[in-house]
Amino acid sequence: MRGTAALLAGLLLLAAVGCRARPHVVVGSKNFTEQLVLGELLAQAIENPGVKDPRPSAVTRRLDLGGTFLCHQALLRGQIDVYPEYTGTALTAIFKQAPISDPAAAWSAVREQYQRLGLAVSPPLGFDDTFAILVRPADAARWGLHAMSDLRQVAGRLRPGFGYEFMERQDGFAGWTRAYQLDFNAPPRVMDLGLLYTALAQGQVDLIAGNSTDGRIAALGLVQLRDDRHYFPAYQAFFAYRPSAAAALRPAFSRLAGRLDTRTMQAMNAAVDLGHRDPAEVARDFLHAP
Amino acid sequence: MGWLAYLIQHRGEALGLLGEHLLLVGVSTLLAATLGVPLGVWAVRSRRAQRWVLGAANVVQTIPSLALFGFLIPLPLLGGIGTTPAIVALLLYALLPIIRATHTGITGIDPAVREAADAMGMTPQQRLWQMELPLALPVIFSGLRVATVIAVGTATIAAAIGAGGFGSYIFRGLATVDNRLILAGAVPAALLALAADGGLGWVERRLGRR
Repeated sequence: MRGTAALLAGLLLLAAVGCRARPHVVVGSKNFTEQLVLGELLAQAIENPGVKDPRPSAVTRRLDLGGTFLCHQALLRGQIDVYPEYTGTALTAIFKQAPISDPAAAWSAVREQYQRLGLAVSPPLGFDDTFAILVRPADAARWGLHAMSDLRQVAGRLRPGFGYEFMERQDGFAGWTRAYQLDFNAPPRVMDLGLLYTALAQGQVDLIAGNSTDGRIAALGLVQLRDDRHYFPAYQAFFAYRPSAAAALRPAFSRLAGRLDTRTMQAMNAAVDLGHRDPAEVARDFLHAP
Repeated sequence: MGWLAYLIQHRGEALGLLGEHLLLVGVSTLLAATLGVPLGVWAVRSRRAQRWVLGAANVVQTIPSLALFGFLIPLPLLGGIGTTPAIVALLLYALLPIIRATHTGITGIDPAVREAADAMGMTPQQRLWQMELPLALPVIFSGLRVATVIAVGTATIAAAIGAGGFGSYIFRGLATVDNRLILAGAVPAALLALAADGGLGWVERRLGRR
């Protein structure tokens, strides 16, 4: 009896030591390319820490979760420990607050909101994923479209197409058309964002709101209009995480923070969307680059 | 019950979505029935046709709906965005249960009955219309019932190409982290599927009783 107890105690101790030696982190992400790449980047940075921290953690990947809603719920319930998010999305979609255009103010508001839920945020990753208003180059040349305010005269002739998120969000369609005084004749075609790029390139719609870091902008040769009235708020990318996983996550954060600018992210997204490469492979190349 | 309050508050819009949803399901399953039953009969007649028709319908069933929509966008006439390609996609998904039910219904007829029909000197045409189709009708109808219920569920994804329906609420809710909106789309769609199943089940029982 005593022997069994001792054995059990020993096993428990071993398990405890084992756990401490190899902390376990569950990395989540939403279901679009950039999130998959970011999820992989973080997972690999945790698995292969630099020379300073020789103790790698075990990682479970829960990538490709269906959207902001699912990721946030999973994080709150502890089903994932960390996932990539954007300041503008967190403020408006998760915390139901008014959008903030000043990046610094948006950042501190977001951090405070997460703290209230007992969650934490990583330092900004270095890029903004904001709405990009896109047109075909032929139309841009024909109507002389460079900035969003150029749309005012021709809006009536364009067939717009938008994703559900853009139509619903406080910082989306309604506010944008008001800020630029746009009057589209046709009601916007509302559909899945991923399919909108194809629809624009195929001439099914004439103007869409995509994501500024999407690799398809460059690949399909689409023209992005300048936000000359600074309407769209800041969408700085960061990781939202559970403080219980901080020890394993912090070294990885410091390896990634500030290293990802818009062009780097665009290039990685394009490598996946257009080069048909695996997000894991693209992430590996980035981490191993000098 | 926030979703119910939302639906009542936006009843005009919700009725519009219901109309779109019913249109998508109704048109696509009717077209699938007019195409699927002849295809099923053809599959009974020829072994080759059986392999190709059932094989193709099986393959279509495995294509994820978003991917199917992606393939349809560049197609002329039947493709693009909006209601037409959505109906095309739903039709393709509804074909398999109808073809299969027609095939099973006719091949499941007692061979003795078929021999009797032949002995009476029926032409293949007469045999089809006066014996095979009437006897297989309850089975064909149960296939139509399955196809309709599937279409009610799949039609929610038609909102991905701007075809409307209750899927619009689901997509909007997912995009804006709004549980209430997701339920405002999902619950009516589920109720619609149950109603379609119940209603067609009732018709099916009446057919079987004859």
